[in-house]
Amino acid sequence: MSERYSFSLTTFSPSGKLVQIEYALNAVAAGAPSVGIKASNGVVVATEKKQKSVLYDEQSVHKVESMTKNIGMIYSGMGPDYRVLVRKARKIAQQYYLIYQEQIPTSQLVQRVATVMQEYTQSGGVRPFGVSLLVAGWDEDEKKPYLFQCDPSGAYFAWKATAMGKNFVNGKTFLEKRYNEDLELEDAVHTAILTLKESFEGQMTEDNIEIGICNENGFRRLTPAEVKDYLASIA
Amino acid sequence: MSIMSYNGSAVVAMKGKDCVAIAADRRFGIQAQTVSMDFQKIFEMGPRLYLGLPGLATDVQTVSNRLKFRLNLYTLRENRKIKPKTFMSMVSNLLYERRFGPYFVEPIIAGLEPDTYEPFICSLDLIGCPMVPEDFVVAGTSSEQLYGMCESLWLPDMNSEELFETVSQALLNAVDRDALAGWGAVVHIIEKDKITTRTLKARMD
Amino acid sequence: MALASVCGLPQFAPNSGSVSSRGAGFEALDNVEPEFYNEPKFTLPQVADPAEYLKQFEKEDSDVKIRFHHGTTTLAFKFQHGVIVAVDSRATAGPFIASQTVKKVIEINPYLLGTMAGGAADCSFWERVLSQQCRIYELRNKERISVAAASKLLANMVYNYKGMGLSMGTMICGWDKRGPGLYYVDSDGTRITNYMFSVGSGSTYAYGVLDSGYRYELSVQEAYDLGQRAIYHATHRDAYSGGVVNLYHMKETGWIKVSQNDVKELHYKYQDEKNKK
Repeated sequence: MSERYSFSLTTFSPSGKLVQIEYALNAVAAGAPSVGIKASNGVVVATEKKQKSVLYDEQSVHKVESMTKNIGMIYSGMGPDYRVLVRKARKIAQQYYLIYQEQIPTSQLVQRVATVMQEYTQSGGVRPFGVSLLVAGWDEDEKKPYLFQCDPSGAYFAWKATAMGKNFVNGKTFLEKRYNEDLELEDAVHTAILTLKESFEGQMTEDNIEIGICNENGFRRLTPAEVKDYLASIA
Repeated sequence: MSIMSYNGSAVVAMKGKDCVAIAADRRFGIQAQTVSMDFQKIFEMGPRLYLGLPGLATDVQTVSNRLKFRLNLYTLRENRKIKPKTFMSMVSNLLYERRFGPYFVEPIIAGLEPDTYEPFICSLDLIGCPMVPEDFVVAGTSSEQLYGMCESLWLPDMNSEELFETVSQALLNAVDRDALAGWGAVVHIIEKDKITTRTLKARMD
Repeated sequence: MALASVCGLPQFAPNSGSVSSRGAGFEALDNVEPEFYNEPKFTLPQVADPAEYLKQFEKEDSDVKIRFHHGTTTLAFKFQHGVIVAVDSRATAGPFIASQTVKKVIEINPYLLGTMAGGAADCSFWERVLSQQCRIYELRNKERISVAAASKLLANMVYNYKGMGLSMGTMICGWDKRGPGLYYVDSDGTRITNYMFSVGSGSTYAYGVLDSGYRYELSVQEAYDLGQRAIYHATHRDAYSGGVVNLYHMKETGWIKVSQNDVKELHYKYQDEKNKK
């Protein structure tokens, strides 16, 4: 195969739209809800993890993943695509560390992951990613939390708080009412759970949601026991 | 004849109290022949961040240019000033990329940390192995002489004037015992809110 | 050999084998150092042809370095008032500056000067032997040796050791019946006379200055300045030359030492003069 033609699937429609990207966004909007809130002393990201059968082992696969000591992320959309991005993001972070002997800043990781996502909208033989990411990070130099959203188009946004996936419009409206600047991380976790609860069908338990928090101690996924405690304090 | 001593050079950096100094000779020669006496071996890589490059003159210029290129990209992409330690990694990385065909330079970095203004000095070998000592770093054809001078003159917690005197005397007297370096010297004293650059009157033989 | 005969020393060299035949009382004298005798004696490689054996070390790529390099600038020129001799004072071992205060003009006697380039030991040793020979010549002939004869003595002496690693490039300057004399002698056995020479790693730079400023009719002051300037410029450009400029003037009445100036002072003096113009 010395010569091969390979065209990008993401081509402009006559009206100037890239419909493949819109379809990808539709896949995200149909995906499980996610929410992220930046507090004064940290960030929280939370997502729904409903399984189709009681036979699933809920605590063996995760939607909250950490990239570096200080950065982690969640997604709405297609799980397999997310795994690819997690792998790429971790590699980007390690390459940065190899060059500078310094942890990658959240903004840099997001920018570089977004670059990867953009490449999949313009390259031949590939399709855009069917996920939007929520990246939570803590900047050790500035002692500041960060929250970013990264879309299939390669666009990325810095949020104080946001929601993605199914019912994201309601989620955002809820957050707009609840959010204030000097929220602390503990309260932010509560607010995140409440936002998910807005559209949650059925009983919310430590097995069907996942929460990640990020503060000066770094990023970590909350244990089911911790999630259970938060749920108990809300109810 | 080692390629490292083809042109001749001497660079030294020292830590003081809330200040650092970096100094170099100004000779550019081709083996025994002194060609010019205003050759730049110290490069400003940022506010309060200096890079000294002793070694093969052509590589001095190539490496300084390539590092400036990478540094400019870093500052644009990250929209912040680089830390001396991070810059050291950048230099190390650049040099190790040429592990099997190295640039013939032994860089020295001197600067203050951007936020804390803490003094920083380090040296690297030609393939990028970094060394971060507490007192002074030397490199070039006069490195043995410089070690001797620095070991005897350096004291902890010198103020900027004392540091200037010490680094100048160390360099001038070191190159007076090296046939390939000297012919003038330049000294930069880096402080929190002041950078002082002086050229020294030296022996011209 | 008067002292030797008083002491009862044999006339021949101690290792000639016949000493032991003189009996037990003289055995201790076998250990007398060769310097005790009139002629210099050297230990040589124990092979049939030492010169042939030593040639292998003469090559540039030899692992054993007998021919080590010594940077220097020396010059001498004749003019209407005699001979000017000027030298630098740096000694180097590789790139290391071993000394800045070497005396590279060897005062053979009041009417003869030699300069030093190449191996310092070779130069100083053989010119010391030369000074001894010249003195013997004076005693025997009741007149001073000519510069031509003195330089030839030296050339013949080093020629005996050709190919064995001697390293010297020297100028023999003097004043004799024929007036001022100037000869170049080196360890290859070369011996030539001319009105101007410069020897050493910085010689090309010195020639540049000398050629542009030289006239036979130079006044004494002009000649001093030219010699000093030529050495200064050589020390400036040549890494292996430096230190101070030692300046001698060979007159009809014998040599005088004119000056000894540090190159550092000369540099800034010449620079000021340049800036004024």
